[in-house]
Amino acid sequence: MKSDARLDAMLAEREVIVCVGCGGAGKTTVAASLAFEAARRGRKALVLTIDPARRLADAMGVESLGNRPHAIPREMLDELGVPEAGALSAMMLDMKRTFDDLVERFAESEEVRDRVFANSIYQHVSNALAGSVEYSAMEKVFEMHQSAAFDLIVVDTPPAQHALDFLEAPQRLLEFLDSRIVKMLIHPAFKAGRFGFRLFHRATQRVLHVLERITGIGFLEDLSEFLIAFDAMSVGFRDRALRVRALLLGPRSSFVLVSGPGRISAGHATDFLDHLAGFGVPLAGVLVNRMRLWPSPGPPPADAPWQAADVEALRDALRAGEGADYPAELAAEAAAKAATRYAEWVRADARSAQPLRERVEAQGCFWGCIPEFERDVHDLSSLACVADQIAGKEEEP
Amino acid sequence: MAANSQRSLLEHRLVIVTGKGGTGKTTVSAALALAGARAGLRVLVAEVGPDEQIPRLLDPQAPQAGYAGCSLLPGLRAIRIDPFEALSEYLTLQLGVRAVVDAVLRNKAFRQLMTAAPGWRELITLGKIWHVAQLETGDPPRREFDLIVVDAPATGHGVAFLDVPRVVVSAVRAGPLHLHSERVEQLLEDPEQTLVLPVALAEELPAREIAELTDRVRNEMGISIDRVIVNAVVGAPFPAEISDLDEALGRLDGNLDLGTLPSPRALTRCARYLRSRHELNRHFASEIQHTTGLPIVELPRLAEGIRSPNQISSLASALLADPVFLE
Repeated sequence: MKSDARLDAMLAEREVIVCVGCGGAGKTTVAASLAFEAARRGRKALVLTIDPARRLADAMGVESLGNRPHAIPREMLDELGVPEAGALSAMMLDMKRTFDDLVERFAESEEVRDRVFANSIYQHVSNALAGSVEYSAMEKVFEMHQSAAFDLIVVDTPPAQHALDFLEAPQRLLEFLDSRIVKMLIHPAFKAGRFGFRLFHRATQRVLHVLERITGIGFLEDLSEFLIAFDAMSVGFRDRALRVRALLLGPRSSFVLVSGPGRISAGHATDFLDHLAGFGVPLAGVLVNRMRLWPSPGPPPADAPWQAADVEALRDALRAGEGADYPAELAAEAAAKAATRYAEWVRADARSAQPLRERVEAQGCFWGCIPEFERDVHDLSSLACVADQIAGKEEEP
Repeated sequence: MAANSQRSLLEHRLVIVTGKGGTGKTTVSAALALAGARAGLRVLVAEVGPDEQIPRLLDPQAPQAGYAGCSLLPGLRAIRIDPFEALSEYLTLQLGVRAVVDAVLRNKAFRQLMTAAPGWRELITLGKIWHVAQLETGDPPRREFDLIVVDAPATGHGVAFLDVPRVVVSAVRAGPLHLHSERVEQLLEDPEQTLVLPVALAEELPAREIAELTDRVRNEMGISIDRVIVNAVVGAPFPAEISDLDEALGRLDGNLDLGTLPSPRALTRCARYLRSRHELNRHFASEIQHTTGLPIVELPRLAEGIRSPNQISSLASALLADPVFLE
């Protein structure tokens, strides 16, 4: 793809780039490549991934790191043309640890902290509580941004059905902690047992009765204790969530939507765009990953218009090159068939991506295609190749 | 080598199709449902995500199935399980009084609680699946559905949701929630009835993930799993005697004018792409088989993905092939 001034500006100026998109589109690879490219342009970049390809993680050294950034060694960066001023670090989010760290930070006393850690519901749900992955990812972005150790943080968001889960889930989590039902469950009267129900409003009593009937009272007691402990920390949580949101939606951040080329994937991406626009998210552009591109200038020809005489010319060329024993006729036909087959794929990808492309260009955002590589991207040098494509350094892989 | 120990996919009551986004899980679910209906079974195919795709994959004119479901073909129904609707149905069955249930569901505090609460969506969805698996019809009564195909959610490892009943059974001490979770768990863990059918691509990351998934399903959850569907496999692109065609093309003058044909340089790229995708798929298909210890069923890669019900139909037969161990 050709270099794009909007993409260049994003890589040069932003402090946070958030990669969003459905699972399976190669978001992690694209996020890592953007961070690499920023490093190559002299910035100190961090890629924060949620669920990386293991070999990519190995190559970047993030496997054993837990929850801390890991700097890619200088020698490796030198080999790949990253200047002295640039640096690249990677980290993998450990959600449980991030959550535990939060509890440590905001618990008002050791007693509260221990109560949260010991609660059976916390043990079961700190991973599962709706929004907790998103919450911890945002929390980590904020912590890293605050640390000022990096010029740019590229975030690979958790795969989501809806584009804005990443932004909205923390809000929902907080609204929940703030909700009337939580206030009830942490009310001292609740702990006093079911007679305490009478203290509540009728509608509330009814809800509690239904919950009790379905779950059994023991469950509600555990839940109540969990929420009491959590409530003690919610002021700190809330303040932080608001600041993270302000950072991500403000002028220091850009969003990049990553899509696959297929029809379903591009369709999901179009839905994502609607959600993002409705939310006022600063979308910089769309990168379509693993697009199959035609290896000659211009679009691939339709309906395999290969003339028999041209296939024969290829046969003769092959025979001249490989010798009389070579099955040149078979080979020439197979080559023509390969071109037909590949052209079909290229056209299918272009057709599937077209509506998305029109949308993106009408919005004035950048549009880029990263070709499908012959090999999986699994080390720093193949990451550098993807970065070359994104930056428009090379025409073809 | 054929692995003869497997029962046909159609000889299960509940087949849960799992896989990451982009693996073709939904297509496989649709194809399996179609194969079942063609074999004369009464089939229900259930989607659990927010969007509904299967009805229109099988019939471009199909209506939205929704929670009530719709009939797609003789013997084939589709539904989309919305957790709030399933919760409403469940509470009505439990409490018997529709008005109370409606009031509770409308209650803002209750909705807030349910929006944040973990696990219940998975649990109620599985509960609904359990419920339809018990439905009977006719006289004398027989099971309403012979085969239920579930297109599992694509999030996480895709199987985490199957673990919810087990977690609830251990975390909740007694009461209806405990009892009902236990029933769902029993259905899932019954190898006579339930099969997890993983769908993977023969590429590096999916190959690793499928090994982790298989291990979890078998060893932690105790749910039956007997094959892996390896989807979108690029077949051998050239006859055996010219399997290195791209190299021969690469030795030609790259700019030679071949008229209507692309230049040798471009032809080399096309041929090399096909060959390398083929080899990559071969490599990881056999890796999947080694790391999971399971036989595989391969489905071919289609240029444009699925564009018509006819293509689903051709996948349906390929899907029922005996799983094999590659040489």
